[in-house]
Amino acid sequence: MIFSTLEHILTHISFSIISVVITIQLMNLLVHELVQLGDASEKGMIATFFSITGLLVTRWIYSGHFPLSDLYESLIFLSWSFSIIHMVPYFRNHRNHFSAITAPSAIFTQGFATSGLLTEMHQSIILVPALQSQWLMMHVSMMLLSYAALLCGSLLSVALLVITFRKNSDIFDKRNNFLIRSFFFGEIEYLNEKRSVLQNTSFDSFTNYHKYQLTQRLDFWSYRVISLGFIFLTIGILSGAVWANEAWGSYWNWDPKEIWAFITWAIFAIYLHTRTNHSLQGANSAIVASIGFLIIWICYFGVNLLGIGLHSYGSFTLISN
Amino acid sequence: MHPLKTTKTHNATTFITSSSPLLHLLQPSRRSLNVHLHFTIKCKIKTTSKDTKNARNDKKTKPMSRKIVLFEAAPSPASSNDPPAKNAGLPIWMSVKRAPKKVLSVLSNLGLAIGEMFTIAALMGLGTIIEQGEAPDFYFNKFSEDNPVWGFLSWKLVLGLGFDHMFTSPVFLGMLVLLAASLMACTYTTQIPLVKVAKRWSFMHSAESIRKQEFTDSLPRASVRDLGVILMGAGYEVFLKGPSLYAFRGLAGRFAPIGVHLAMLLIMAGGTLSAAGSFRGSVTVPQGLNFVVGDVMNPTGFLSFPPKDFNTEVHVNRFYMDYYDSGEVSQFHTDVSLFNLDGKEVFRKTISVNDPLRYGGITIYQTDWSISALQVTKDDEGPFNLAMAPLKLNGDKKLYGTFLPVGDGDSPNVKGISMLARDLQSIVLYDQEGKFVGVRRPSSRLPIDVDGMKIIIEDAIGSSGLDLKTDPGVPVVYAGFGFLMLTTCISYLSHTQIWAIQDGTTVVLGGKTNRAKVEFPEEMNRLLDSVPELVEMEPTNTH
Repeated sequence: MIFSTLEHILTHISFSIISVVITIQLMNLLVHELVQLGDASEKGMIATFFSITGLLVTRWIYSGHFPLSDLYESLIFLSWSFSIIHMVPYFRNHRNHFSAITAPSAIFTQGFATSGLLTEMHQSIILVPALQSQWLMMHVSMMLLSYAALLCGSLLSVALLVITFRKNSDIFDKRNNFLIRSFFFGEIEYLNEKRSVLQNTSFDSFTNYHKYQLTQRLDFWSYRVISLGFIFLTIGILSGAVWANEAWGSYWNWDPKEIWAFITWAIFAIYLHTRTNHSLQGANSAIVASIGFLIIWICYFGVNLLGIGLHSYGSFTLISN
Repeated sequence: MHPLKTTKTHNATTFITSSSPLLHLLQPSRRSLNVHLHFTIKCKIKTTSKDTKNARNDKKTKPMSRKIVLFEAAPSPASSNDPPAKNAGLPIWMSVKRAPKKVLSVLSNLGLAIGEMFTIAALMGLGTIIEQGEAPDFYFNKFSEDNPVWGFLSWKLVLGLGFDHMFTSPVFLGMLVLLAASLMACTYTTQIPLVKVAKRWSFMHSAESIRKQEFTDSLPRASVRDLGVILMGAGYEVFLKGPSLYAFRGLAGRFAPIGVHLAMLLIMAGGTLSAAGSFRGSVTVPQGLNFVVGDVMNPTGFLSFPPKDFNTEVHVNRFYMDYYDSGEVSQFHTDVSLFNLDGKEVFRKTISVNDPLRYGGITIYQTDWSISALQVTKDDEGPFNLAMAPLKLNGDKKLYGTFLPVGDGDSPNVKGISMLARDLQSIVLYDQEGKFVGVRRPSSRLPIDVDGMKIIIEDAIGSSGLDLKTDPGVPVVYAGFGFLMLTTCISYLSHTQIWAIQDGTTVVLGGKTNRAKVEFPEEMNRLLDSVPELVEMEPTNTH
């Protein structure tokens, strides 16, 4: 009982801190940059990180197994991964646009996990025989880290597309807005705002230059983050294959989840290959990354929603209700 | 000569901006000769390479000519029109000799490779959407010709292209083979030459050329030696020659993508070996019985040769389950003994899910279970072995039942006691009217009274569902896995090159990197801040 209370408290703490962080960021942008507030938002993310860590540890202690056995736990872990990705460049002193993506992503995943949709899953369940393996920790944590990194990277690419095509073409603008509005509204606001700030502070003739510089930075950052996520994805898929060879009898079973993970891998492999050609960089590779964004969600949720195949552990209970 | 000249200049400039390799080659000529001379030299290189190619495919000129072919492919239509015109004048044996080269350059085309990956991804996605391995009737109904799915997917297309068994269909396998060919071609024609050039390192002797790099800076009142020491501290390999400095880091990041491609090929080879050379089999064995490995195994392909251990006899000594406090099954265990032809026990292990048995290339997995029989005594008669039958398979929940006839077994209206079990833990008993009587644990040996008869459930005998396989591809695939993980990680490294020159008291410095384009300037600025400033002028080598 004490554990579930603790878990409850930690959920609320992390959730409210992220809300405050996002508010601070918006204030920062809409009014003007306040250094102290920016620092406070970074500290807030660190506090969030610790409370989510506490949440996971609590769950680990009272369930007795690594807290990654169902959808709720994996969502919390995804949220935790977002906060890690947020903090890594912060500690390496790279200024970037990550907070605009990681903070809303973290709050959305956590919000979805704790929302009423999945209340039945909050109880920690027993571990089925196939999941009782040391590989669980390696495979699932790597997969979720990769999802988090790839989502961040592809969102940066989506942002790049939005900025690139905003003035140039209305069709693209609408399409992209439609694509991301639901998930990603804050980011567009942020970048637009950033741009208008730049417009105000700099000479008009430099606007294009700044736009160019911003897209360039977005491009490079999304490349780096996606490369990192690609490493995690590779390790995750391969460790999953080794585990499958221990538990299911073959390292590759053409299971829907496996297939979609491989499709994700292929899409981001295509992304990395487009980067090797200068004429395909920028917008072209960004389009591939935005396709990858959709594919990740199909891989993570879509397959589980159908509840087919061998990876049925993380499936929704919505259907049976 | 004139049009050719212009295309060459075009190529040369794209080279400078797009990739490092030729830069090394071009810089000296750029420095020493004027612009016009530079062009002629380029042309000369091209013609000599062609001449030698016509005469004999000299090994030395190979990378040069390939490189030119490769970069001509994309940018200018003028240059792509060039080769056929040349070809027409050649005798037939020449063009035959050239054919493999052409195939190579087509296969190593980036656009083709990307297209192949997209197609494979799409086919796989389609394979998860179209139900696999159903009877033809199913596809006639679902993908009817009058009302095709998405407007084009009719059963003719699905069955014609073999999409009902996507992952063994010729289209899919053909794409995989094509991708493998592209991987090899790309590694051979693009990656290896790139590395050869990247390995060649050179000093730059003029501040001008250094300033043309992506990142440049100049440090007044500094010494190139101090810079070298600081770069060395940051993990760079530093070379100093007179006033010039060259430093690089992360060269492995250039090699690693080759490793990634080779690892992919290794995995594909291993996968092929698995598909063609495996044996598989599954068997459900009641506790206490045995079987011979060779009897249950089926070959999967033409490379499946039975190993000598196929005459091993497998004896299931015991099958049991672990339970959570809530009554759910937590784990299945089977105690298995292996006997050789002489009847000698050669191996014994208790296997469970996630813990298979491996013996002489044969792997035995715990995958399934069922209840085979109940041992029951009725009024101290028996024990009888009652076979259990599966009753309802609703998802993962299993239910088994059996029936103990009472009275005259020959009468058409036979009545008896029904016994149901979900697992080996507890048996539910119903009397002749079908009314619930009670629950007994097999281990308790507690008698229960049903319609005046004393029933004791002695034991519930489970059967273990085992999967067996031999797979010669696994070591190859695992080697590929390990190599792939390693090389993917190394590929994250960014190959960074820095040139610097002492120009009077000023150090002019330029550098570039292939991956970490944002981090690099930040890191450089941090490093350059720590270069000590010379207070008094020191004599330098350039004077």
